[in-house]
Amino acid sequence: MYKSKQNAGRGAGILSALQATSMVDSRASLPAEILVAILDYLPVADQMRFARASRRMQEMVYDDTRWVSRLRAMGCWDELEARKRFEDAIKRRREAAQQAKEQIKTPTGSTANEQAVNPTSPASTTLFDAAAEGHTRKASADEDNRRRRMSELRDGFEATNIGNTVVKDGPASNPDAYLDVFKHSRSIRGGARQEFGKIYGALAPFYFDLVRATSHADPILFKAFRDPERQGRMLANLTRFARSDWAAGCLEREEKLQSMVGIFESAVLREFEQGYEFWDVDGRMKRYAHVLHELNGQGGVDLFIQKHPIFDDAELQFNPVACLSRAIPDEITLEPSRLFFEMLLAKVNDQASVMARIFPQPGKVFWGLLERIKDDIIMEYTTPLFDEAHDRSIAAYLKAVSGVFEQTLLFFQSLTPPPGSGEDVKAKAKELTLRVFEPHLDLYLQEELDFFTKHAEMEVSLWEKKLSEQDSTLESFYMSNINRSADKKDFLSSFKKVVMMPVTALPSIGSPFATASTASTAKQPVPNGATGAAGLTTQLSRPGTPSLSIPMEGRKSPLPDQAPTDELAAKAALMASKLEGIKSLFSIEVALNLVHTAKVSLGRTSVFMTLGGQVGEEAREQCANMFVVLLRILGQRHVKPGFDRAVDHLSHYNPREVSDHNQQGVAPLVTFIELVNVGDLISQMVDVFYEQQLAAPKIADKDDFLDPSGLAKKKFEQMLDESVAAGLNKGIDVLMDEVEYLHGTMQLPTDYNPAPSTAAAATLSGGDAAEKPARDESDMGPTPTAKRIVELVSSHTKMLTGTTDKSMLDVFNGEVGLRLFTAICKHLKRQRISTDGAIKLIADMNLYFDYVRTLRNQDLLAYFRALRELSQIYLIDPEHAKDMASVIADGDRFAGIFRAEEVYEYAQRRADWYHVRKKVERAMYGLECSVM
Amino acid sequence: MAATDAKVWLQSSDNVSIEVDRAVAERSMLIKNLLDDLGSDTISQSNAIPIQNVNEAVLRKVIEWCDHHRNDPQQNPDDESDARKKTTEIEEWDQKFMQVDQEMLFEIILAANYLDIKPLLDVGCKTVANMIKGKSPEEIRKTFNITNDFTPEEEEQIRRENEWAEDR
Repeated sequence: MYKSKQNAGRGAGILSALQATSMVDSRASLPAEILVAILDYLPVADQMRFARASRRMQEMVYDDTRWVSRLRAMGCWDELEARKRFEDAIKRRREAAQQAKEQIKTPTGSTANEQAVNPTSPASTTLFDAAAEGHTRKASADEDNRRRRMSELRDGFEATNIGNTVVKDGPASNPDAYLDVFKHSRSIRGGARQEFGKIYGALAPFYFDLVRATSHADPILFKAFRDPERQGRMLANLTRFARSDWAAGCLEREEKLQSMVGIFESAVLREFEQGYEFWDVDGRMKRYAHVLHELNGQGGVDLFIQKHPIFDDAELQFNPVACLSRAIPDEITLEPSRLFFEMLLAKVNDQASVMARIFPQPGKVFWGLLERIKDDIIMEYTTPLFDEAHDRSIAAYLKAVSGVFEQTLLFFQSLTPPPGSGEDVKAKAKELTLRVFEPHLDLYLQEELDFFTKHAEMEVSLWEKKLSEQDSTLESFYMSNINRSADKKDFLSSFKKVVMMPVTALPSIGSPFATASTASTAKQPVPNGATGAAGLTTQLSRPGTPSLSIPMEGRKSPLPDQAPTDELAAKAALMASKLEGIKSLFSIEVALNLVHTAKVSLGRTSVFMTLGGQVGEEAREQCANMFVVLLRILGQRHVKPGFDRAVDHLSHYNPREVSDHNQQGVAPLVTFIELVNVGDLISQMVDVFYEQQLAAPKIADKDDFLDPSGLAKKKFEQMLDESVAAGLNKGIDVLMDEVEYLHGTMQLPTDYNPAPSTAAAATLSGGDAAEKPARDESDMGPTPTAKRIVELVSSHTKMLTGTTDKSMLDVFNGEVGLRLFTAICKHLKRQRISTDGAIKLIADMNLYFDYVRTLRNQDLLAYFRALRELSQIYLIDPEHAKDMASVIADGDRFAGIFRAEEVYEYAQRRADWYHVRKKVERAMYGLECSVM
Repeated sequence: MAATDAKVWLQSSDNVSIEVDRAVAERSMLIKNLLDDLGSDTISQSNAIPIQNVNEAVLRKVIEWCDHHRNDPQQNPDDESDARKKTTEIEEWDQKFMQVDQEMLFEIILAANYLDIKPLLDVGCKTVANMIKGKSPEEIRKTFNITNDFTPEEEEQIRRENEWAEDR
């Protein structure tokens, strides 16, 4: 690198080295690294004299890094630019070499042509270039570098020469050369010294003159440049230049410069302030703001913001407490705060245009001002408001925080910053809003959750209290229930249909309800206008289902206090009014209230999620927490105890203790199944809530299986399912108890075993002629017992269809069928069946079979088909014992349900078993008999 | 940690053994690293640390400086990157200390360089810098014992090249 610089002494490199060694004599000499260290302490002028001492010294002084570091200190060295320039140079060099090669081939090419290709280099060097063509590419690249540097060196001289003459002429002739000296500086590798030289030449005289000056009137700077703009720029340049001065005494020099700058600045500021007082926007304010900007980038901004009239604007002296209503502690009106923000917005946006006129960088000033407005006006407004609200009531506080938050965000977002501010208003708005609410946020989120939890707990315990008050009358209440069971069944069918609705509605909320039947809307005195009251989803049309047209006469249906706000709420309200009759074990109304409260709280909290970042995340977590709390209270405190109690009731049910068995259902089971329906409704409600309030605004991630709210929801559903399953299990027990009870009490011994004597006597005497046809008639169909049982079982299984999970229903039905089967078998073994009675038995079995077929369970069907086959063995005439034996032994006939031994056992139930036994056994074990 | 009054012995190039407080000797990073590596146990009056490049007179001078600056805070090597940090003025005691003939000054600088005593080296360099401030190239050559290998034309060209830097 050095070599290329001192091109004159290039050939004498070895010689100079020899000279350098020979200069060592008896006197101490210093090694190069120490000389370099010494150079660092020397002023620039002395360094240059040092360079003249010898070639070695020149190399040291001219070392590029030395000057690059100075340029870098002034902030006008761009490594990227330098590298690019360097690479460009190499490329250009290669192209030139290529060009030269071609010209060698066609020697007729003129020099003018070459100059056109490479106009920067003189013709002579181009010729040299062409001559050097034969060298390797690398060598030629070196050559080019050298040449380039040389030419630049020359450029540097020219520039400095011009600079020198200008100084002599006085800066008035060409002031911009001084003012823009930094702008024109380039980053060239190997040319750093020249670049520094230009800057130094332009600024150093002023710099040292300024430092020497005793009073602020002395420096020639202020004489050379008359107007403050240029003075400011020049001072800024000098400040920058001072950073490259690190020779001895530089600290004092800088101090001196700073004090000079300070004097100048305060003078300009004074001018600016005077302009400010007269609101001379386009005159003095603008002028001096620009001067200050040239000087140090801000200055006037602070003053401007500090003294801005907006801070003592009487119009903005709002009373924050005006938002709080004195009459009702929980209420809050946000109208005053809205007015406040509107007024502020108008004023600030007005100021934006003023700033654009005054300042060169209005964006910075604007946000600076806004920062203060945020601190001094908005915070002053919000903090007392929140504090006061918090003291008064939590509900009002929560509403105030959330509401004002939205207004604040809107305020910041609707700001119109001056053009060219370069900052994203949205991001900035979020940041500022966050800063306004930062001190309140933690408290708010905590209070919101606490408030909701407390409210939910209160709701549930209130309901529990009510329930316990009724508990004393519970016994009689159940009795009365029984009496009204027909009535209940009536609405149960409609209930079922209503419950079905959300299931079909879920995928497309709001769409199928456009066809709401007039009957239902008329029946339901909910004002449509009230829907928007809570500011929630208004676009959902009032739902209704055709099933609602079922008359509800005699039922008082007071709707819940608050107007339902979406289709789910409306439906639930309707259900609640219908269910009013059943003062059930848990209340859908309570659940609805809880969900509604949760929704309001969530709505308030979720606005904070827009802030994003850590705070947004916290808000989101709090939302999820709220949902979890909702489900916990709803599930653990409300639904589960209800189910537990219902199961308890079921297990205590004893059919023998209930006197009235005429009605079609088992009372506790009906209650329980209704409960399942209600539970299912709540579950669907929760599901819709989850979809709408949590999944849709991305509070909960549906795909994240570890998401707490998703987990809580699953847990809730699981709890519900478990409770239902436990209840159904008990329910089956109860149902079968009832079946057995009916078997035991209603089945007459003569049903399957009509006394043959009577029949015989009848034929003999004919005295009972009147009785006989009656009996014949009854012989045709199944026994009343079987009819009752089928009715009982089918009514219960039907109640469940469509309400619970399909798979669970299948399991339930299968279990019911299987238990029914065993109950019938058990019953059969207790009976004595004659050939005549077999007709009746077959009829019964057919009835059971037909019923089971409706359950659509293939496995069950096999059991009952076997039962039907089994009943036929009673029909076989005693004379055909052999056939009976073959039937008994025929395993295929019963499809493996009964083994031969079991069938044999059933055959024993024949009334005439002792007569036929021998024959049958003989037929069965025929081989043995023939041997005998 | 050795006691503060622990002693070490340094042997100059002309075989003179000098007793020094360890804390003083450790101003030299060279000696400090050496002691840290070897431990001070092996060092005794008869087995002194050889300082081969430094004669007795210079070594005593250096030790004098070290003794005066024994309680200075250790310099953080990271600070060196900032060129402006080094530009503090020479304190008065050091100025007096450096009032020696030029040969001695250079010897001290070389010794400081060899013993790796950064602050002393800095003071030395600053003194030299002050010494040659405002001097002509010929005076500089004399000071540093440099032979002029420029032709007068070449020297004049360099002067013109850097005319911008001339004091006016």
